[in-house]
Amino acid sequence: MSTKANLANNMLTPEHKKRKLEKIYWISLFIVFGIGVYSIITGYFMQGMESTYLSNIVPWGGWIAFYIYFIGLSAGSFLLSTLVYGFGMEKFEKIGRAALLSAIVCMITGILFVFLDIGRPDHVMNAVIYWNVTSTMSWEIHFYIVYLILLVVELYFSMRNDLVKVAKSKNFKGKLSRFLIFNKQEYTDIDKGKDKKRLKIMGIIGIPLAIFGVHGGTGSIFAVLKAQPYLNSALFPLIFIISALVSGTALSIAIYVIKCKVKKQQADHSMIRSLGSMLALFIGIEIIMVWYEFLVGFYGLEHEEIGTLQLIMGSPYSWSFWIFQMGFALLFPLILLVIKKTRESINWILGASVMVLIGVVGVRFNMVIPTLIMPKIDGMPYGNYYMNLSEWLTSFGVIAMCLILYTIGEKLFPIDELDSHEKGVSKHE
Amino acid sequence: MAIHSKSYLQPEDYSKLADQFVPNSDKVLATSPYDSELGKNMARDARKVINGKLKIEDFHRVYSASLIKEFGDQYASGPTEPGRNSSTSAGTGPKWGMVIDLKKCVGCDTCTVSCKAENRTPPGMSYNVVLETIKGDYPNFSITNLPKPCMQCDNPPCVQVCPTRATYKMENGIVIIDNDRCIGCRYCMVACPYGSRSYDFGNSYEQEMVGYNDVTSPEYGIERGKRKKGAVPEETVRKCSFCYHRLQRGEEPACVETCIGDARYFGDMSDPNSVVSKLAASPRAFRLKEELGTKPRVVYLR
Ligand code: SF4
Ligand code: SF4
Repeated sequence: MSTKANLANNMLTPEHKKRKLEKIYWISLFIVFGIGVYSIITGYFMQGMESTYLSNIVPWGGWIAFYIYFIGLSAGSFLLSTLVYGFGMEKFEKIGRAALLSAIVCMITGILFVFLDIGRPDHVMNAVIYWNVTSTMSWEIHFYIVYLILLVVELYFSMRNDLVKVAKSKNFKGKLSRFLIFNKQEYTDIDKGKDKKRLKIMGIIGIPLAIFGVHGGTGSIFAVLKAQPYLNSALFPLIFIISALVSGTALSIAIYVIKCKVKKQQADHSMIRSLGSMLALFIGIEIIMVWYEFLVGFYGLEHEEIGTLQLIMGSPYSWSFWIFQMGFALLFPLILLVIKKTRESINWILGASVMVLIGVVGVRFNMVIPTLIMPKIDGMPYGNYYMNLSEWLTSFGVIAMCLILYTIGEKLFPIDELDSHEKGVSKHE
Repeated sequence: MAIHSKSYLQPEDYSKLADQFVPNSDKVLATSPYDSELGKNMARDARKVINGKLKIEDFHRVYSASLIKEFGDQYASGPTEPGRNSSTSAGTGPKWGMVIDLKKCVGCDTCTVSCKAENRTPPGMSYNVVLETIKGDYPNFSITNLPKPCMQCDNPPCVQVCPTRATYKMENGIVIIDNDRCIGCRYCMVACPYGSRSYDFGNSYEQEMVGYNDVTSPEYGIERGKRKKGAVPEETVRKCSFCYHRLQRGEEPACVETCIGDARYFGDMSDPNSVVSKLAASPRAFRLKEELGTKPRVVYLR
């Protein structure tokens, strides 16, 4: 008897466990999201910027850091997806749509963060109506809109063939898909050819848009500030782009591997490995750039710039530089991705990617805050900034929203290629 | 007699009255060493310029030859005058500028206080600060007091970056913020090399100072009434405006007026004969962070 019961129990376990895990996942996400919404309402809407630890000396803080973090993730994953759709590297096809979806979701999250940082949400449309052509930020706002539209359209065309397939089923997903494809019955080869061409065009348009418009542009929001000598360098937008590639690649790896693990699917080892070596390459380039940025910075002998570098590297805040920026974002993952034993293992590659994802947060904070803490003129006080509880809760809430949106997207749309694995179809139904 | 015989005055009576106590203009002008006819003609045409019947350029074209003949070297105005800074030649009104003599500044912060009172800035915000730096060690040291308002840069980085054109340069040289348009993104604060901008976090002195919220400073000449939670200018960026609202009534900025050391000078930089222009041309003059190319309109004397 007992063995029989055990057996039944054992047989139940995987499916059961998965359900339970999913439940925990959703519940915890919604709790964090709920707390975030609460703190947005009580803080941002009821007290305004007073609810943050921002000051006149440090007017930009954690939300701006998270904003560029998510814009970076978005631009990076999009650039990765162009490998598939723009340049036809079929090898990476499995992550193409996921990369597009994460690009969309991260873009939305980034825009939400910067929206939260705006003091007068009631005036916000002015930024769209009154276009200041010399303002990088004004260009960015317009680019973000175009880019987001492009991403959505591209994702749509990239999964249209699978939408047609899904539309045959009777459930909600089927209905949604039917609606999205305007009741198209068949997906012919002509359609396929057309879509491929469309995707290619959009991918190619998207590359300059993502590089110049979205990420290089976001970098130049900071790089054009002559008031901040540490940021005011031509290398800065490039560092932005390359670290976008680093974090975007890491995100795609992490999403893919975790998804395979959760769904208990066979992961594509060779693809992960080549993504891993791409990640290593990007990290290498970033190290080179950061090195020269600092080198030239020190040789410049500019009081403020050196002061900022000292703040970054040798102040009570410097843990974020040494541990997060140098350790998690650059050196540790690079070592993991170079050593022969670890670079072959999926788990280590996943570990390296997660490290990068955490470390780049530190990179973004170091881009925004230390240079503002440094006084601009002798005799002015040093700033002091760290995120307060309300800012953290809001940030976690928004990040939870990002995950919720992504997971909903995965559930509702055929983000995985339906015919790429035999068991996939049944999983989706 | 006429006054008593009629119940009201006729226009002729006024002129008669006026003749008695306004000195005869011809007689007065005759005492001047300069040409009276020229003066009268210019006055007449100046009225036409004001009425819009005559272009100021034509006015100058007609008179500059005779003015140079009359006044020689001292004549130094008119739009076509050579050697003028091109950035100030647009428009014809005054181009405000400030000169601060650091040798005269005693670091008393009167300017800071009067600025706070005039502009009713909330806690944590001051359009003007006096930065004190100590160089050297006791007993061989020196203290420099650097009063620092907004520089009203001629090439303002803050204007360059504002995504909504809420902050812009006016013809009179002042950089203004349209708080009704500002979205509060604080990009301009990050871009200002002089730390001149502050964000209105919505704080208030109402706790310590009864009636603080009763009125908002009429910055840029706009009356906003009571300071209310969430109403403009709260949650937008603010900065020194050279007391534009005072200039409009013909007063100097509050900091200039109250400076106990008389260290601050204010005036029209486009007029080469004004005190500020002359001081700004002195070898003692310097500007903050000149190398950035922002061209501040606040000049310091070393
Ligand atoms: S000092 Fe700063 S705020 Fe003032 S005009 Fe110059 S850049 Fe703008
Ligand atoms: S805070 Fe206001 S004035 Fe400053 S850049 Fe943003 S919109 Fe312009």
